[in-house]
Order: sequence, then structure tokens, then C-alpha cells
Amino acid sequence: MKPLKIGIGGVRGVVGETFTPELVVGFAQAFGSYLGRGRILVCRDTRPSGPMVAAAVTAGLLATGNEVVDLGICPTPSLQLAVGWLGAVGGVSVTAGHNPAHWNALKFVRHDGIYLTASQAEELLDVYHQGRFDKAGWDAIPRRVEKAEVIGHHLEVLRAQFDVARVRARRFRVAVDCCNGPCSLLSPRWLEELGCEVLAINDDPAGPFAHTPEPKPENAVQVRAVVKAGRADLGLVHDGDGERVSLVDEGGRALSEEMTLPLAADMALQERVGPVVTNVCTTMAVDLVAARYGAPVVRTPVGQPFISEAMLDHRAVIGGEGNGSVAVPRVQPTHDSAATIGLLLSHLASAERPLSALADALPQTVMVKEHVPIEPNLIYRALQDFRDAVQEEAEGRTDLADGVKVGFPDGWVHVRASNTESMLRLIVEAHGTARARELVDWAHDRLGR
Amino acid sequence: MPAIPTLKISISGVRGVVGDSLTPDLLTRFSQAFGTYIGSGRVVVGRDTRTSGEMVRQAVVAGLLSTGCRISDAGVCPTPTVQLLVRHLRAHGGIAITASHNPPEWNALKFVGPDALFLSGGRGRELLDIYHQGDYTKARSHRLRGVEDVPDAVDLHLDAVLGAVGPLPAGRRPKVVIDSCNGAGAVAGPRLLERLGAEVIGINVTPDGSFPRPAEPTAENLRSLCDAVRRHGADIGFAQDMDADRLAVVSEEGTPIGEERTLLLAIEHVLSQTPGPVVVNLSTTRAVEEVAARYGCRACRTAVGEANVTAGMQRFRAVIGGEGNGGVIYPAINFARDSLVGMALILHRLVSSGQRVSELAAALPPFEMVKMQFPFPSQRLRDVLRRAAREYQAYPQDLRDGVKVTLPDGWFLLRGSNTEPVMRVIAEADDAGAAHALAARVREQVEAWVTEPPRP
Repeated sequence: MKPLKIGIGGVRGVVGETFTPELVVGFAQAFGSYLGRGRILVCRDTRPSGPMVAAAVTAGLLATGNEVVDLGICPTPSLQLAVGWLGAVGGVSVTAGHNPAHWNALKFVRHDGIYLTASQAEELLDVYHQGRFDKAGWDAIPRRVEKAEVIGHHLEVLRAQFDVARVRARRFRVAVDCCNGPCSLLSPRWLEELGCEVLAINDDPAGPFAHTPEPKPENAVQVRAVVKAGRADLGLVHDGDGERVSLVDEGGRALSEEMTLPLAADMALQERVGPVVTNVCTTMAVDLVAARYGAPVVRTPVGQPFISEAMLDHRAVIGGEGNGSVAVPRVQPTHDSAATIGLLLSHLASAERPLSALADALPQTVMVKEHVPIEPNLIYRALQDFRDAVQEEAEGRTDLADGVKVGFPDGWVHVRASNTESMLRLIVEAHGTARARELVDWAHDRLGR
Repeated sequence: MPAIPTLKISISGVRGVVGDSLTPDLLTRFSQAFGTYIGSGRVVVGRDTRTSGEMVRQAVVAGLLSTGCRISDAGVCPTPTVQLLVRHLRAHGGIAITASHNPPEWNALKFVGPDALFLSGGRGRELLDIYHQGDYTKARSHRLRGVEDVPDAVDLHLDAVLGAVGPLPAGRRPKVVIDSCNGAGAVAGPRLLERLGAEVIGINVTPDGSFPRPAEPTAENLRSLCDAVRRHGADIGFAQDMDADRLAVVSEEGTPIGEERTLLLAIEHVLSQTPGPVVVNLSTTRAVEEVAARYGCRACRTAVGEANVTAGMQRFRAVIGGEGNGGVIYPAINFARDSLVGMALILHRLVSSGQRVSELAAALPPFEMVKMQFPFPSQRLRDVLRRAAREYQAYPQDLRDGVKVTLPDGWFLLRGSNTEPVMRVIAEADDAGAAHALAARVREQVEAWVTEPPRP
């Protein structure tokens, strides 16, 4: 079977196989019909298929009578902030985030800048499948596509929300790997405004992805070398669309992407105590940090729409997921790596200690993440089999909000279907490597794989 | 009569109504079929000013890119500019986004092959087969290319026209009114006239796709141009259609001289300079033969359709050709109907003759033509045309394209449109009354035949 995922996270597939212009045109028409006529922003990341997909999106939106504003290449969070600023009814980001370059996807943003919620995404799917789209006649169809530059606006909002002067005074030296993605156009500029000496690598949006655009230690090799050679205060690794970031400390040690949120939560809670929102399979370091401040933790299913929705519902002070994504609500209640950098550097500026010490002060756990590739038609069967296999022994310790999460006194095991690829994701966390391996084996035994 | 479909998919392209049948899905699939057909490579894309042009362009771009094509985007430009660029850039093909003279709710794709000619006949059918098979080239991500703008596309075209025809002789500066129908001609026509050395007054030269008049440059649609010519005391008036392939001429008296005479004036100028064969389609006035004979040249006839005429021109090594609907084709520049070339040739004719437009028109052989079109269900075309051929079997007929019947006192041609669900009747006779009577008689017959059950 060919990889194509149509779901609440949008529509995602491989270009040259399943992700065809007809498919994209259809989804764009469905989205335009679903939102009703108004202004819709369109941006893309730097994948080679970006121009093709963006053109198909634009054709579909124009056909439904929606005015299109082309933002060109920009991070998704810049689009999300601009939706309200430009009076748009929504936005479409053409990006497959952390997926390899031959993938692409559409992410649908609503009028308030957050992603369609799960139920709204289901409504959109119904419109798509019914196929009866709004059609603008010749006298209603927009005649041209406007262009807008929104990264400047993003920077303006960031400047207003963080103590730029305090960070500038520290003159940090920061190594940043933009993976030749859209963050190339935002992150170095933001760091410069923060008075940093910027050691940027892979910051050419015309270049190919320098590595898989997933911020995690295995993709931090280059930036670690730059941190060490350039004696930087920290290093940053971006993803393909500006949501996730992982960190490298001043010693050149790559921190797990799981640590971005606990670190940010610690900083946000120092400012104000309030709810922390994360998904079911993010490190329990989040709970341990929150407990230090007496703050509640709200756990949601995996996926940014759930995080944003819960952050609004619970008036959260911070939110995010274990993949390195953090939402700083004073900027916007949605994942935004530039806002994450702002929070991080403004706290690092007032801290007496370097990043390594802040990281070491976080609760130390071990997480293991594994992929179990499965044919798309067998995924839910496999998940159901796992649930049946653990039901008796894990009575009272299972959380079925998203996949199957089994709690242990000293850790947890989580198995769920990927939202984006044809696989099960197995995540295990424990206080120590040996125990984590034990839990992985425990899970594999019950997965039968 | 059954409901008239709003979509025409044929060997001359795909044409439909925006907000109805001409969906972005259809457009992107057709563009994929074309990209597949030409084997990827560079494709020139240009469009007229219709309001739906941007939507159609985006769908075309998506479809072409997905097959691995590299796009040279000429933006808003005349259709002949697209054809010229295909040759100039050695592109593998081109797509002109225009429904030329159709009403504003229509739009269309016209496909240009690597030889800069429109696909038609066998090649058109091959493209249709690929479209219907639906098995399009899907370029892998790393093979995808992008879109490059060609901001000087129109300049290249104007340079070509001026290079081939030359500026007007010094000291002669005719006053010209041009009506571009707010179409693609607006970005090229006035500039060409200025560069030729004319004094230019433009009306409807805002390229915004609003239709200040119906786009077809027929006499009844040219009232404001006629008024402007009279008001300004101009020497000549020119009218273009939406994609600037066709040209109509208004005399200094403010009278349309008729689209057939556009071609005749252009033929006169070319034959006076470079005698040679003339090629026109079979629905063009018989005056073409007479004009050609004045210069000792011969005229050949082809089936209707630009592609047929250009093929005939190549076969007979024509020095000039075209269609009686105001489509002038001058092979020194390109094998394409081109109102820019038409204006340049006719202005030269005007200036070098020292006569007025009305005098030039009066000196042409006398003829009267009537063109009529009326709604007609495409699916009844074949049997009604066969019925017509049977009815007039006593007279000489040309069945290459519809049914052309030559009667003792004139001729008529009955043909369906490749682009709209309409039937066209063209009749020619020595005087207007006779031409009208002939056309009206044929139309009545057709409308009676279509109510009869079709014969197997």
C-alpha cells in the first residue's frame, strides 16, 4: 500500500505517489467551502514540491471564491499569527513538518490561528468526501493573488512579548541549524534581534534539507560541532516548519527533544503558576516539574489541535509535546519554536547558570521511542490486540485517550497509531535505562512483534 | 432541445464555464495529461485577462509541475505571444489560458506543441487519450521544478513584429484608436502602435477582464470604437478580442469594414512586397482568390481552425494566410493568428497606399457575407450535417469541415463549433439581401431537422 494519511492532522502523502495535485485541489476546495468565502492565507516550507502543492491549493481556494494571500516560504507559526492580523478566515500551511523531503502535507488553520480541532477536521473530511464544493462564478472569483510578508509581523509580536533588552545585554552566542527549512528566514533574524552572535548553518531556504527535518539528538551532529568549535552558549535544531526545536548545551551535548517542554515549563511556571498542557506520551518530567510549583498537568491525545484547544479551555501557562514543540500562550496558543527560543533565552539571560546546569536540574528519566511499521489496514487491529493483551494485568492502569497507555509505579508504556505515517509508535519512559529496556520488551511481548 | 452542456473537451483543447464545469480538478488533470504528453521539459504558460485566469493558471501550474515540467510564466499576454515564446525558449510546449471571444464566464486551455503550433488532429487526439486514460507522469519530489517569470514576454513579441514588418515610414504618423476589450491585447497593442510610430488613442485598454463589450470583434460590438474614431478624427480604428489573436478594422468614417477585410488588407500589403501563395480556410470570403490574382498569386483552402490553416501554410509555403474572422497569420513572425502583426501590416498598407481606409475597403472585390450562430446540441451535429449534405446533394460540396455548398449565386457553410455548443452558418453572395436570405433559409432548415429523430 502507498503512504497517504488523511485525518485530523490534515492530509499527508508522498509526492510522485499519492500526494497528487487533484487530491490537493479537492482538499483546498473542501476547505474553502467549509470556511465560507473570505481571505485565506497560504504558506509553504522549502520542499521541492512546495510550488506545485501551493499552486494546487491556490487554484482550489480561488475556485471556491476565497481570496488567497500568498505568504511564500514561511514557518507555519508565522502564518498562524498572521491569520488574525490580516483579517483572514483561515490558512493552509503546505508542509510535512518533520517528514522527509519527498513527503508533503496540508495543515488547516482556522480563523483564530489554531489548527482545526478533531471534530472540525472530521467535518472538513465530510465536505471533501461529499465532493459538492462551493463554486464561484466569473463575477465572484478573485482575480488575483495578493502577497504578504508575515515574518516581520511575527518578529514584532515576539519583540513585544519578551524582555529583549535583558537578553541583548547577555550577548549570547547561539548556533542554529535551520535544516534549510523556513526557519532559515525567521530564526537567525530573531536571534540577531535578541542581540545574539548567530552561528547559523543550513540556513539556505533554496537548499535541500540537510538532514531529516526532525529535531532530535541524532540530527544534531552538525550543530554540536558548531557549538563546540564556536564556543557557543547553546545550539538549536529546527524542524521543517517552525514548530519544534531541540537544544544543545554549551558543552556540545544534545538534549533530548523531550526536554524542551519541561525546560520551558519550568521557566513559564517561574513567571506564573497555572495549568500545563501536554499529550499522553510526553515525558513525566513535565509532571515532576509542575509538581514543584503545585501546577496541574492536563494530558490530551497526541496532536497539536488537542493541545491548543486544551490550552484555551484551561487557560494554560504553557503547552507542548514531547517532540520538541512548545506553545507559549502570550505569543499564541500553538506550537511556535521562535516563541520557545524567546522564552528560553529570556530566562537564560537572568539565570546564573548555563543551559547544561538548567538541564541537569530537570527530573532525569529515560525514554525509548520505537516505530513499528505496519500495513495501513492492520494498524487498528494491532492496537486492539495489544489492548486485549494487556487488559487484565494492567487493570486500572490504562489510559485509552489516544492509543493505549499503561502506567507503572516507576514509568509507563504507550502504544498508538501514528497520525502521519503507517506505523505504531511505541514510547516507554522509566527512571533508568535498564528499567526502560524491560518495559520495551514487555510491550513487544504483548504486541506480538 | 436537450440541455446544452457547458463543457467542450475536444482536440482543440478544453473549454468550459467557470463556477460550473471548468473546475480546478479538471484543469489540473488536463495539465497533467499535457505534461505527460510532451514528456516534461519547459512549458510556456500565458493567459488573457479573464477574471478566472488566475485560478486556471494556478491549476495549470500545479498539474504541469507535478509531471516534472519547468514553467516559463509569461503572465497576461496575447495568445500568439505564448506561441512565439515556445519557439524562442525552445520549450517543449505551451498552454494559453483563454476562451478568446467567448463570454466572460468561459475559460479554456489551448495547447501548443514544441513546434509552436496548436495541437490538433492526431496530436490533439493523443492528448485526449492520455487525459482519459488518467495515467499521468508523477515526478518524484527531487525531480520537481519551479516557475520562472518571463517579464519581457510581450517585449520579445513586439520586437519580433517590428523586426519583421519595420516601423512606419518617417513623416507619416497615422492617428489610431485601439479597443483592446480590456483583454490581453491591452498590454501589447497600444505599445506596438506607439513603437510603429502611430499616434495612439486607447479605449478599453485596462487589462482587468471586465468586458466593456462582447469580446468578439464583430461590427455590432464596435460602437464605442466607431464613435471614438469619429470623435478623434482618427485615420483608423483597431479592435482586438480577449486574447488578441483576432483583429477588426474601423474606417476613418467610423464604419467597421468587416472582419473578412482585415485579412484582405493584410494580404494586399504582403503580396505587394513579397508575392507568394496565400492560404485561408474554407469559410473565408471568395474575395481572397480575387485579391491574390491581382498580384498574380494563388490561394489555397483548408479546413476551419487555426491549426489547419497553419499546417496548410507550411505545406504550400504561404507568405500570408489566415481566417476570415480577423485572424491574420504572417509566417515571417510565427504561424499564429496575431492581431499585432495584423495591425502592423494594415498600417503599412494604409501609409504606403496614401489612401483612406474607406477607399482601400471600397477597392476590394465586392462581396457580402452573413455569419449566424445559434444554440445547437453538439450530440446532434453529425446527423444534422449529413441531413444537410443530402438535402443539397445536387450542388458542389466541400465536406472537410462541416458542409460547404456552392450554389449558383453564392455559397454557404454549415459547421458546428469546436468550442461552444452552437451551430454556425456562413453565407456569401454578391449582395447583402441574397446573403441574408440564404443564411436564414439554411438556419430554418437546420432547426427543423434537429426536431426530427436522428437517423441511425
